[in-house]
Amino acid sequence: MAAAYPNTNIPDYEYAEVNTKPFHIGSFRQEWMNRLEPTEYSYQQQDEDTFHANFAEETGVGAETLAELKSICSIDSLRCHPEDEQPDMEVVPPNPTLKTLIQRKKRQDYRASLKVTKNRHDIYADELERLTAGKRPEDVTDLIPEGEVILTINVYYPAVFEKFTYNRSHMTLLMTGSHSLAELRDAICCVSDLQVCGEFSNTPDVAPDFISKDHYKSAFFFFEGVFYNDMRFPECQDISKTTMEWAKARNFPSFTQAKMEDTRMADLKVKVGFPYLYCHQGDCEHLVIITDVRLSHRSDCLDRKLFPLLTHKHRIVTQKCAVCHLFIGRWFTTDDHFAPSDPCLFCDKCFRMLHYDAQGNKLGDFLAYPYVDRGAFN
Amino acid sequence: MPHAPPPYSDIFDELLTEDVEELLGRFQLSDSVRYEVFADIWRQMCFSDVFRGIPSLAELKRFSRVTLATAVNYFLPPFSYQIRVGGLYLMFAFYHTQLCRPPVRIRLALKDWIYIKKFLGDSADAGHSDVLYIYRKLDAAKAFYYTAMPHVLAFQKQRKPKKAAVCAKFLGRATAVHELMCADILEELGNLQVHYEQLKEACPEVKGQVAMTHRDLASRLTDCMSEFISWQQRSFSSLGVKRKKAVDEDGEEESDSSRARLLSSIKQKSYSCYQEAPKSRRHRQAETVESLSCGAEQLQDPPARQKKRPPSLRARTQRSLGESREDSWTQTWLLSVPEQKERLPVRSTKQPAAQYA
Repeated sequence: MAAAYPNTNIPDYEYAEVNTKPFHIGSFRQEWMNRLEPTEYSYQQQDEDTFHANFAEETGVGAETLAELKSICSIDSLRCHPEDEQPDMEVVPPNPTLKTLIQRKKRQDYRASLKVTKNRHDIYADELERLTAGKRPEDVTDLIPEGEVILTINVYYPAVFEKFTYNRSHMTLLMTGSHSLAELRDAICCVSDLQVCGEFSNTPDVAPDFISKDHYKSAFFFFEGVFYNDMRFPECQDISKTTMEWAKARNFPSFTQAKMEDTRMADLKVKVGFPYLYCHQGDCEHLVIITDVRLSHRSDCLDRKLFPLLTHKHRIVTQKCAVCHLFIGRWFTTDDHFAPSDPCLFCDKCFRMLHYDAQGNKLGDFLAYPYVDRGAFN
Repeated sequence: MPHAPPPYSDIFDELLTEDVEELLGRFQLSDSVRYEVFADIWRQMCFSDVFRGIPSLAELKRFSRVTLATAVNYFLPPFSYQIRVGGLYLMFAFYHTQLCRPPVRIRLALKDWIYIKKFLGDSADAGHSDVLYIYRKLDAAKAFYYTAMPHVLAFQKQRKPKKAAVCAKFLGRATAVHELMCADILEELGNLQVHYEQLKEACPEVKGQVAMTHRDLASRLTDCMSEFISWQQRSFSSLGVKRKKAVDEDGEEESDSSRARLLSSIKQKSYSCYQEAPKSRRHRQAETVESLSCGAEQLQDPPARQKKRPPSLRARTQRSLGESREDSWTQTWLLSVPEQKERLPVRSTKQPAAQYA
């Protein structure tokens, strides 16, 4: 039954359970379209009578058999307890026979003996998904068409974050095949984009006139040997050029370039489950992994305007002011005689109270930098 | 979360797999592919309780994903037709008894689609309407996600892969040999052989000196194949699985492929002529499940067994010289330790410390 030649549009494992071989997203979608009936991927749900009529026509069963099937293969056949005695689903049954339940009962008994408060991460884990699932747009033109491909992309913390470099995803985004890479770039929020350069101890009230995001606009994605550069703005430079020249000089396979804003997700040829690179600000690098590619479903959020859709965001603990321990730190001082440590973090209020007098004159000698906490996007 | 859950926790759970194999084992023994039988076993085991007692929503969602992934695993090859039907029923059961709202969907990968289509085609040919009805019901309930891969991949490699040992008694029997037998390839092979020999005879300078093929290739192939088929029947009938009547129906007027032969043995059990299993069989079921599960354990390696270390040079020398170990065990206690090694811990094994000898 195997094809005469391996069809590269059908994804298969390169390393079992780890990642796949590269395949073209648009062709993958086409392969599914070739195999499925429109009713199978449509958003409309058939009502029961239509379903039975279609089934009878397809299989040629008689009315009697159909009635028998209806009564036997119903959901009621799976009911293990009588209808009026529905058990409590949050508690393990008292004398379990299944091995899963026996172990769960042990854990439940153990937990009952502890005083464990609810885990914050568990409570909010699905919050974002629940908010957007099943949303329909007001304008029909914004509806994602049936049979559109949806990609799930994990973006990880940059390598300089010592704590979570290797396996905890910073954010998970859903994208459709018709969105461009530039839209994906805009949706990725990293604190390094908000950094403000410059020393402001003498002029703490002057609002910084730029943040790094506005100043250094260049960025690129790297997928399968192709650098996708952001060339939308005149300030953007091609920061992948250096790497390409370096590679050429050292006998590497040659890389190619493309534009981020012209490439749609469906044009990419990628491996699922394999780490790729997103680089911005010149040296802030994030790993990007496409974890899942599938066709759209009626229970997904179908409003195109909400995409790229954030389905999971890791909440990182913010660092508080060294004085009050209440507010998030916004100023970062060094060489400061007033500060208990070097460097030291202050919130705005404590910073001004400690370092400036009532008239706003600078007291003492210190260097102050505006600080953007990592948890700024929480 | 305080610590990240181990990878693969989303697709495999040992205890759940054991429970599911128990259920499928009973279904296999019932020797039927009817949904009624499956639902009966499900209710007997109170399997929908498997979702009870999960404290958090996130854990419930993860567990539901695991159950559906396990069911899909049994729905796909290399399992036998009956186990695959059991996998389909299991998918239906888990999907409708799960507690998540909105429900977790069933992931079907593109690479497995061809096997699913073939399975449905076979079921339709054999007249198993309930198999088709269950599948279509799941489809109508929009329970499927049409995906690239069966699981979500995040470049996590397990250090000790925790994969379920495939239960040998669930595997489908290889039908490739049967198919080769009924295809006309062997006949053609024989004809080609004869033609080749004739051509060789015709050239006087070549005949007798060159032989590119074995003369009796076709007959040896046939011998090998019939040996394999008889071994297959012997080994599988000893496990208590009912013998498929593939060989007996050889002489009947049937279509060429052995697929039809295999299916015809199931065809007699098609939906409209379903019969109750005799009461005697039901009583026997409980015993055979235990004995079979013991058999299955023997087939699988116990996972916790420690790796046996290879014999040391001393042991090998003694073995080759023919000395028995007991004789040469002299317990040399170290009465005086060399000065430079005074602070080294002395080995407390029973074997003599060779380096101090």
